[in-house]
Amino acid sequence: MKLWTALLATAIAVAPAHAQPKTALSVGIAAQDIGRLDPHFAVTTIDRVVVAWMFNGLVRFKPGSINPTEIEPDLAERWESSADGKTWTFHLRHGVKFHGDFGELTADDVVFSLKKAAQAASSAFSADFRAFDTVEAVDPYTVRIVLKENVPSLLGLLTNYSGGFIISKKAYEQKGDAFVRSPIGTGPFAFDSVTPNQSLELVAHEGYFRGAPQIKRISYRFIPSDASRDLAYQNGELDLNYGRADQTWVNRTRQVPNTVVDVFEPGELATISFNTTMKPLDDIRVRQAVSLAINRPEMVRWRGQDVSREGQSLVPRGYLGFTADNGLLPNDINRAKALLAEAGYPNGLTIKMIHTQLPEMLSAIQVVQAQLRRAGITLDLQVVEHATFHQQIRQDLSPMVYYSAARFPVADIYLTQFWHSRSTVKTGASPVTNFSHCDVADAEIDAARVETDSAKQLALWAEAQKKLIANACGVPLIETLLVFARRDNLDYGYELKGSMSLGPLITEQTRFR
Amino acid sequence: MIGFVLRRLAAAAPTLIAVLTVVFLIVRVIPGDPALVILGDQATPEAVAALHTKLGIDRPIWEQYLSFLTRSLSGDFGTSLVTGRPIVGEVAAVLPHTIDLTLAAMLIGVVIGVPVGIWAALHRNRAIDVAARLLSLIGLSFPVFVSGVFLLLAFALHWKVFPVIGNARLDDLPDRVHKLILPAITLGLVMSAYVTRVTRSAMLGVLAEDYIRTAQSKGIAWSRVVWRHGLRNALIPVVTVVGLYVGILIGNSVLTEIVFNRPGLGKIIVGALNQRDYTMLQGLMVIYCFLIVVVNLITDLTYGLIDPRVNQS
Repeated sequence: MKLWTALLATAIAVAPAHAQPKTALSVGIAAQDIGRLDPHFAVTTIDRVVVAWMFNGLVRFKPGSINPTEIEPDLAERWESSADGKTWTFHLRHGVKFHGDFGELTADDVVFSLKKAAQAASSAFSADFRAFDTVEAVDPYTVRIVLKENVPSLLGLLTNYSGGFIISKKAYEQKGDAFVRSPIGTGPFAFDSVTPNQSLELVAHEGYFRGAPQIKRISYRFIPSDASRDLAYQNGELDLNYGRADQTWVNRTRQVPNTVVDVFEPGELATISFNTTMKPLDDIRVRQAVSLAINRPEMVRWRGQDVSREGQSLVPRGYLGFTADNGLLPNDINRAKALLAEAGYPNGLTIKMIHTQLPEMLSAIQVVQAQLRRAGITLDLQVVEHATFHQQIRQDLSPMVYYSAARFPVADIYLTQFWHSRSTVKTGASPVTNFSHCDVADAEIDAARVETDSAKQLALWAEAQKKLIANACGVPLIETLLVFARRDNLDYGYELKGSMSLGPLITEQTRFR
Repeated sequence: MIGFVLRRLAAAAPTLIAVLTVVFLIVRVIPGDPALVILGDQATPEAVAALHTKLGIDRPIWEQYLSFLTRSLSGDFGTSLVTGRPIVGEVAAVLPHTIDLTLAAMLIGVVIGVPVGIWAALHRNRAIDVAARLLSLIGLSFPVFVSGVFLLLAFALHWKVFPVIGNARLDDLPDRVHKLILPAITLGLVMSAYVTRVTRSAMLGVLAEDYIRTAQSKGIAWSRVVWRHGLRNALIPVVTVVGLYVGILIGNSVLTEIVFNRPGLGKIIVGALNQRDYTMLQGLMVIYCFLIVVVNLITDLTYGLIDPRVNQS
């Protein structure tokens, strides 16, 4: 009898403890290790996902959205701009606390962060701030930004994305080189520790200005092997798992009990750029033939209906300025063959292409290779290691370049980096990723960037896309969305439709039900 | 003995410098730029140039080489180009895991491999021998990423005895041993297959020697003949193989580390190579070389223990 009473007492004592929801979140990410924890150097998926939990911008995308029209206050509670759109004044929230004992956020931190983000030596995103003239603190809670020329989305540059993150000036100056190993921001989660090759540990920032986070600890685990990451998830060791944009993976993971698979924006648009200065692609008929041989619906079937969709332009779908009405050539093998014959290749031809050995990119190009073969085009793939690939395509060594990317969702950035002659590799004024050497849409891209009438701006961007496609500078393939799996009791606190940080945002409201 | 050790270490110095030089050159000759890895694919040339200056990789190559050599010799390997963390700390954090796994795998390899090898040799061409040869062939043919995943499916997902994420806490001995078991078995079984084959063939060679027949004809018990006259002589090639294999285990356990999510030297080496982390690779190679030198030294000392004829003076 005594034993039973004791057991009952224990059960009663233990029961409420069990009813307590979990507060530690374990996340699995496909990477070897984290890079520099300076948000202005966060360029890889693994780094971007996690800095968005630790830092804020002056403004932010509404959690779960990547729609630039849904940008809302973050560190700034309100702002106004001058009539010409060149002077912007931001009024900061009062009482925003940095992690640790780095005190309250003031205009000095904002000015320091934006200036740091605009300098090539201290930021990977300096080019985004080209139009900035001055950034100054008017008073401790007011920041004024003056632009040299209009930009399509100034607020976009100041969001919780890329160069927009605000860091602690005091921490950066005090810690020096150590800042990248123990960064200080204002976000809901603060850096705790990092174990090389294993995990990054974060703790809740109890003084977070939107309130103390409900999740108290995050273990961000680096697990490069897809198979073991999936096994760890199935075994309950992970609550949130980086997924593969692959239909089989999605179907299989949906079978795991208590699991939700989230598929969300932004889609990465894969394109092939044709080097219009190199034989045989200097002939537009050859470029059109390759474009005609591409079968986008087939590529979507291969990648998966849930995780991919057809590319419709040389700008990803949904970006401000995107148009599907651009004269994109449909799949037509006979016309492709006819064009090749007309160009002097009645028996087909061979085109060399340098490509990476990264499995998902390699398999995509093998699908393209098979499609081109139907039109008599042999793709001679020269497969190299990934870092080599990135260097060699920038040395203008590959006649065709496959590239898959998501950018800030305004057409200007995508068009400028991929299709403006300023960005042409090797020969451009500021080479980035224009592998086509095309300059046909330069005028429209430049004019749209500073156009203040939004209808005219959209028309200019549409015209740019039409010209690029008419000249067959490149061909869109498919767009691949982001995929994560989570336990169904993990509630983000918002509806996840998109995330510019390329992973779910963990906010102060995220919790286990 | 101490003199022998010191001389061997001194002789290793030129090897070390040669390896350092080769590594220094190779990582710079292969295409790929660490600045692009750090800055990402939207990097502008100004940003790349600024980062080159900051990282010191725009200086003349001989200047970089000299500063690398002098700093390495004073034990300062600098910080990782990619993460900005000190290299010594990175390596110190994973080295215990690598040593644990290497020693545990070696132990399993030897404890299984040597007796099975002897047993097979003593029963040459009988069922036992055929079975041992067949099993060792299977052991050699199974890649770690297959056998490891099978072990995880069975022991982690089905029976829930071990976790999938095997990163142990170094200050928690039971945890450390617990998380070592599956990876050590995975690597140890492959190694035992090698050891079985070498032991078997060495033993067969020795058993055919005249002095074995002589010992037998003197009426010495068969077990004693095998143990004292046979095994002792057969062990030299086995020790050689074990020594070489341990060297391989230290740096090449990368697949095991990845499958079982363990930290380790191999994983860091591969990561640094992918990211063109020059300083990290250089630092890792110095440490790797040093470990290999130590393993070879221990192997040589073991020869002397087994066979006093091996001259150490």
